[in-house]
Order: sequence, then structure tokens, then C-alpha cells
Amino acid sequence: MSTLTKVLIVLLTVFSIFLCGIVVTYVANAENQRGRADTLKRDLDSAEQLQKNAERELSDEKGKFEVAGRELEAKMKKLQKDLSTLEGNLDAITRENAQLVQQITAMGASVEQANALQASQMQQAQAAQQDVVALQADQTRLDTELKETNQLLIEKMAVVAQLEAKNKQLIEANQELESRLNQYLRPSGRAAVTPQPVTAAPAVVQPAAPSTAKDIGLNGRVTDVDMRNALAEISIGAAAGVKPDMKFHVTRGQQFVCDILILDVDADKAVGVLDLVQSTPQAGDVCATNL
Amino acid sequence: MSPMPQSRGKGSVPSNLYTAILAVALGVVLATSVFVAVQCFTQYKTIFGMP
Repeated sequence: MSTLTKVLIVLLTVFSIFLCGIVVTYVANAENQRGRADTLKRDLDSAEQLQKNAERELSDEKGKFEVAGRELEAKMKKLQKDLSTLEGNLDAITRENAQLVQQITAMGASVEQANALQASQMQQAQAAQQDVVALQADQTRLDTELKETNQLLIEKMAVVAQLEAKNKQLIEANQELESRLNQYLRPSGRAAVTPQPVTAAPAVVQPAAPSTAKDIGLNGRVTDVDMRNALAEISIGAAAGVKPDMKFHVTRGQQFVCDILILDVDADKAVGVLDLVQSTPQAGDVCATNL
Repeated sequence: MSPMPQSRGKGSVPSNLYTAILAVALGVVLATSVFVAVQCFTQYKTIFGMP
């Protein structure tokens, strides 16, 4: 056996051992590609299944999304309709508010006017009260003067009575003298002439004609009664001639009910306080100034 | 390797030694082949074909 053959045998052996070691090491440490492939295939199948499920869920979700979109569109249409209705209502309320503000302004002006009128009436009432006080003072003064005049008149009447008695005595004396003179002159066929007095006879004071009262003759009906405040309203006013402090007699048939002393007069109605109440007055009772 | 016996000099190695070395190499290769075949059959259920 040649040396070369021996060397080749040794090298072949060495490399065979080396190569086998490498192969064994590699095969022993190699990964199981089949198992890995199976695992990957299972993973792939699982992933495909998941993809199908995801696509199906996606399609379902798309369907739900479309349904929800249609529902939302319907709701939006309904809400827009409601919004337009509410806007209309808001416009109407705004217009009504403006009208109410105008009415409030007008009412404020009316209240101010009424307050001014009330103040004016209060001033007029105070002036009228002052006039009443002045008239009462005048009445008191006139009453005093009337009493003094009456006293003086009584005294004058007494003097007149004395003078009349004296005049009567003088007339009787004159008649007696005239009858005596006629007895002396009758035989001679003459009679005494009634002497004409030098002094003209004064005009005789004629008494004034007695004052006659005329019935007012207002007739109306009771329209409202407030027994708590003892007030009543009648159906005639200043247009018919009713004035404050007039007294109306209320009757029901032939029965006297009460009197109404007028306090306030309007154009077509008047209000007064009840007086001499015999029975409760009612709306519809007849009221008149003269029974 | 010649079939003829050769004279062995001082310090020469007999031919049987190389035969044993070859046997060892063959055994190693054979064992490696068996191991690889077993591993292939175990993992891929086949030896020569594609799994």
C-alpha cells in the first residue's frame, strides 16, 4: 500500500468523521421545518378564518352603519322639522312679546294719565271741600244775619201793630167826626166831602208771592247693591240731571225700601249711600226723587 | 492497498490498521446516514421525498 493511499485513507477518515460530526450536529440542532410549516399553516388558516370573520363582521357593521345612518338621517329630518316648527313658534312668541311690550307701554301711559287725572281730581276735590267750608261759613254768617233780621222784623212788626192800632183809633175818630159833621150839614142838604190828604198815600208793600217748589221727577232703577259698604248704583246719571247730594227713594211695588243719597255721578249712572233702610234693596228696584 | 503482503519495515504501520480506519470511517458515515434518516423520517415522515 503506497504512502499516498495511506494518506488518503487517513484524510478520508478524518474528513468523514468531521463531516459526519457536522451533519449530526446540524441535524440534531435543526428545527423541525414540518412542524414549523404545520404551525405556520395553522396560523395561516386561523388568520384566514379571522380575516373571513372580520370581513363578515365588517359587512355586518357596514349594514348596521347604513341602517344607523338612515335612522340618523330620519332623525335629522325630524329634528330639522321640529327646529323649523320651533323657529316658527319662536317668531310668533317674539311678535307676541313685542305686542305685549307695546301694550305694557300703552298701559303705563294710561296709568300715568290716570294718576295725573286722579291728582287733578284730588286737587279739585280739595278745592271743592274748601268751597264747601267757605259756603258753610257763609251759611253760618247768613243764619246769624237771618236771626238778627228776624229779631228786627219781630220788633218792626210790633211797632207796625201799635201803629195799626193807633191808625184804627184815628180812623174811628175820623169816622165819628165825619158822622157828626154830616148830622150838622144834613139839614142844609149838604154833606161833608172826604178830604184829599196832602201827602200822597205811600204805596202799599205787596207781599212776595209764595215760593213754589217744583218736583224734579227723576226715575230710574237700582242696578247694583253693595250691602257691605251700604252703597247702591242707579241706572241714571248726569245726563238725566242727577247731581250729588240728591236723594232717591227706592220702592218695590208699593213698599218703601230705602233712600239713596247720591255721592258720585257719572254720565249714565250714579252711586250713593243707603239711608233709612227698611229692607234689603235689590237690582231692579224702582228709584225716584219723588214718591 | 495491494492484496499482496508487503514487507513491514521498522516503524511501518500494518495494513490492517488502515482497514480498521476505513471501517471506522464507514461506520461513522453509516451511523450518520442512519441518524439523518431517522431524523428525517421522524420529522418529515419520509426519507427521500419532499414532505
